[in-house]
Formats: sequence, C-alpha cells, structure tokens
Amino acid sequence: MKPKIGIIPGDPSGIGPELIAKLLADDAVDAMADILLIGDAHIFEAGATIAGTTIAMTPVDARAEDWVSKPLCALHAMQTVDPDDIRPAEVTKEGGISALRTLDAAMALTQDGVIDGFLFAPFNKASLHLGGLGHDDELHYMAEKLGVTTYISELNTLDGMWTSRVTSHIPLRDVAGVISEKRVHEAVYLIDTVLRRSGLARPRISVAALNPHAGDNGNFGSEEIDILIPAVQKLAETQMAVDGPWPSDTVFLKAVAKEIDAVVTMYHDQGQIALKLLGFDRGVTVQGGLPIPVATPAHGTAFDIAGKGVADVGATRAAFDILCDMVTNWEKGAAA
Amino acid sequence: MTQTTVAVTCGDPAGVGLDLIAPAWRALRDEMVFALIGDPSHLPPDVPVGIITDISQAACVMPHAVPVLLLDIPGPRCPGNPQAAQAPSILRSIEIGAKLAQSGKASALCTLPIHKQALAKGADFRHPGHTEFLAYLAGVDDVVMMLASPILRVIPITIHIPLSEVPKALTSALLKRRIRITHTALIQQFGITAPRLAVAGLNPHAGEGGRMGREEIDVISPVLDDLRTEGINLSGPLSADTLFHSAARAGYDAAICMYHDQALVPIKTLDFDRGVNITLGLPYLRTSPDHGTAFDIAGTDRGNPTSLIAALRLAGGLE
Repeated sequence: MKPKIGIIPGDPSGIGPELIAKLLADDAVDAMADILLIGDAHIFEAGATIAGTTIAMTPVDARAEDWVSKPLCALHAMQTVDPDDIRPAEVTKEGGISALRTLDAAMALTQDGVIDGFLFAPFNKASLHLGGLGHDDELHYMAEKLGVTTYISELNTLDGMWTSRVTSHIPLRDVAGVISEKRVHEAVYLIDTVLRRSGLARPRISVAALNPHAGDNGNFGSEEIDILIPAVQKLAETQMAVDGPWPSDTVFLKAVAKEIDAVVTMYHDQGQIALKLLGFDRGVTVQGGLPIPVATPAHGTAFDIAGKGVADVGATRAAFDILCDMVTNWEKGAAA
Repeated sequence: MTQTTVAVTCGDPAGVGLDLIAPAWRALRDEMVFALIGDPSHLPPDVPVGIITDISQAACVMPHAVPVLLLDIPGPRCPGNPQAAQAPSILRSIEIGAKLAQSGKASALCTLPIHKQALAKGADFRHPGHTEFLAYLAGVDDVVMMLASPILRVIPITIHIPLSEVPKALTSALLKRRIRITHTALIQQFGITAPRLAVAGLNPHAGEGGRMGREEIDVISPVLDDLRTEGINLSGPLSADTLFHSAARAGYDAAICMYHDQALVPIKTLDFDRGVNITLGLPYLRTSPDHGTAFDIAGTDRGNPTSLIAALRLAGGLE
C-alpha cells in the first residue's frame, strides 16, 4: 500500500507554496504516495503560478470520503487566510495564523488515520510568533498538541547522514552545564529509533566530543572523561552500534565516507556547520520524538527569493522521500 | 632574479616529519625551493641530499637533491623514541630558521612537528608550544593561528581551551588584537589589498538578538564597530552555521571564529588533506603541517605527506 502523505504549504509569504507546486510537478512523486494537500486552494494555485506549473486539485472531505481514489490531487480545503492579506516576502501575523491552522489540521488528520504523516513547507518563526505561537518552535508546539511528554529533538539529515543534538537553541555558555549522561542517552536513543523507523536495521551512531581534540585526555576539558566516555560505554554494552566521543572536526568525515549513519552532536552549531556546508540546499529536518512521521526541508522561507520562481525543490523532495521511508517502516522500526 | 627559498626546520627527528621530506621534495622539486635545517644523516639513504652552507645555494641543489643546511645533531635518528641529547639541536634548527626568515634570506619558514615534553626534558623548553617560541624569538606579544586550504581560511580566536571556558576567554581586547593581526598579515603576507573578514557569532543564530546569548551584543558587535572605524572590512557577527557553504565563502577572504571547533569543523570537513597551519603576526610567514610528531608511525612509510606539501606550497607562494 502506498503511503498516504499530507502536505501543507507553510508560510504563504515564503517559498513554500512554490516548492509544493514544483514537488508535485514530478510524476515520480505521485507514484510514490497518495497525496492529500491540506490548506487554501488559492495558496497552492499561487505557488503553481510562481513555479510556472499548473496544479489540478479535487476538493474532498478527507474524513468522510475515500479521497485516495479521487482523480487529480486531493485537496482538504481550508480558508485560513484571505488572498488579499498575503504579503509576499514579509513577516505577517496572517501568514503565521495560516501556517498554524494548516499544521493543526495536518496533525489532526494524521491522528485520525486519514493520512500516515505529513510534510510541511517552511514556516517563518517570526510570523508564527505573531500568529500566536507561544512555544519556542513548531516542534515544541506539535509535541504539546500531540500529548508528548518524553524527549523530543529536531533531527537533521543530508544525503543519508543524520545528526541530532544534545542541546539546541541555548547560549553557548550554558551548553557544558546541560550535558549529562541522561541527555546523551536520550539523544542517542531518539536518533536510533528514528533511523530504524526510516528503514535502517542497525543504525551506526557516533557521538561527537564537546571539547577541542575531544578534551585531549582532560587537558582541554573534562566532560569527555566525566560524562561522554561512560555514557557511550553504557550504550555500547546494550549492543547498540554506538561509539565516541570523537573530535568534532573529523567525526563528520566518517559520515561523509558512509562509515556511520549518524552523529550525535553536543550543541547547535557543531552539527549545523557541517551539514549546511556539505549541502546547503538539500538538508531535511525530521521532528524527532513525535508519535507521527513529520518532515520538512531544513531551509527557511527564503524571503529574499520568494515569488521569483527560482527556489530549489531539492530539500523538499528529499524531505518527501524520507517521509515515505518513515511511513513505510514506522511500525517495524518501533517494534525492533 | 631573486630566489625565494623556504627554510624548513627539522622538528623532532624521532617524529614523522623527516619521513615526509623526501616525498615532499619529489613533489615540489620543479616548482619551488626549500632547504632543510638539520642533519643529512637523518634522511633515508634512498633520497639524494645536497649539503649547503648558505641558504642561497639551495636553488641550485633543489632540482637534483634535497638541500640540507648542515646542522650537526648528536646521534642517529631514532624514530618513535625522542633523544634528550638531540633536544638542544631541535631548538637550534628553529632559531636558525627563524633568523633566516626574519632577515629575509629565507622567504618563509615551514616547521616540522616538535614534541614539547621531549624538549622540556632535554633542553628545559618552557614555552607553551612551537608558536609561542617563535613569537618569543621574534619579540612579538601575540600571534594568531590561521588554518588555510585553497578554498577556506579560518582563524579561531580562542584555541585549546575547554568549550565551557570560551565565553570568559573571549574578551574585547583579545578579539580586537587578533582581528588586527589577521588584517595586517593578510595584506602583508598574502597580498590581499583590502581583506574582507567575516566574523562568526558565538551562539546559535549569532544569539538571535540576545535571545540565545548576549556575547554578540556585549562583546563582538562593539569590537567590530570600533575596528570598522579603523578601516577594516568586517561583516558580522554572523550565524556560524550558514557561514561556510560555497556561496557564503565567496563573500570573504577569511572567517574569524570564536572557538576551535567552529573553525576546525568547517575546514577539516571541507578540505581535510589540504589544511595548513599558519602563524600570523610574526615578521615573516610561517606554516606547518596540520599534524604532530606521530611517534607511532615515525620511520615507516605510513606518514602522509599531503599536509606538509600543502604547507610548503603555501610558504613558497604557490597557493
């Protein structure tokens, strides 16, 4: 059975609607999954105009009808924003409200089993906050809506190389104080679960060190000796394929060489620098720790090129592919 | 025609450095001139050696043999096993090389790896490292480490300290001094008329207006404002995660980074083999390969000469 994938257009002022139109223009995408568009018809149509394509949609009541068998692309139609209120390439409250409402709908449709998971085109964080988002980011918002109380983290992936991080959007001076065996374990378990759910039987995971040269035997910091080495040893004893801590300036080369599948990083820029320099246009973010599969391109709304028709669909396509893998392997990975 | 010869110090003969001289000479003999300051008996028997008494003779020798500026070092080379009796000679090689470079008789200095503990034991070496010793010999107060490959130059402002101590170590004075040194050296030693420096923030998203850390607002931005009034072309503080992809790299000549791995992750991930360590702030250009003595593989053919060759090429003005 083909995965049933929901797609929401993200912030209507950004490149999201254009990316969705470009994604759907590829017949291979249609062959991989049954797609349910969720949102305002005029947003998807505007995206197609910018992309220079057309988009043929059939409005459906996705909960009541057998939407999969409908001709053309099924649309779960909403009215989240008036077309006149969309201001391209601007941070707006209306854009934020629209994005949050389609996100709510996509989560509800997934929970109700109408779709198996969903892809969201980029949100604009400032617009989301104007639109009423009280959480730090969309991941924390989704976690609360879905009733998640366990560990959650954004996972980033590029060309088969995955990263997760033990700390994220906090000041660098607070990082060392937050690193603990428990948090390292949570980060490793999370990426292990998500990778198994995306189809890898036994993910190979390396843990990055916190300090330069992995602390150089304690000369440049003691967290490796006190926390990371014992943490990795305990995980390795459970037969997970995990090793480290490795100096962060060379650990990503192991991933590039496909010797490992994932790097667990200690802080935001450690992993993000490596991923973004290796493939700025192709990175994907998976929302780790949620009970449903959710993926998005790692880049943002790109207001500098919004409306110009030049946005690169690569990351969106990669997110779609990963989402299909996750849906297909979700139960199997969870049970392993 | 002025010959430009790079002076090469011998480093610790017990280390891997001398193993790499022969392959480096074979790779570079037709492209540039260098002279090793050391003991010819420490080089392997299968490489031709030309002993010289003045560095100006190196150019004639280079096409046919490894030019070696004679320095008597007591005892044979003992790979993997540092000899206390050789420690004073190792320092002497550095002193001679620094003097040649400072006087202009050598066009630049390239140093082979030393082992601090061995030098401390054998010659009472008290400097924290190679670089600090060169600064001391040149009489300069501060120097800057730069890592360069043909596609990226990075400068870590703080280096070998725990990550937790970086925010405290990152003072306005340090940042200002090291950016000035970098700016001057890029003009004088790299021939860049008006260097464009991109400065990374310390925190994720460069602090995002203070929401994720205040060092950008309290320390980095004021320093950059001051330095701009001196005519230095600076951008930043910039989000470090978007500073190193190819389009971003096209916008600057060097990236100023706040801590070791912020600089080393991008250059090693992008260009592992060709990274060269450069010291800025000396009165001459100094490069070194980006590895240590590697005693465990010294005396074998397992040493990789790529980084030394890159360091020599850079010192010789080929990059």
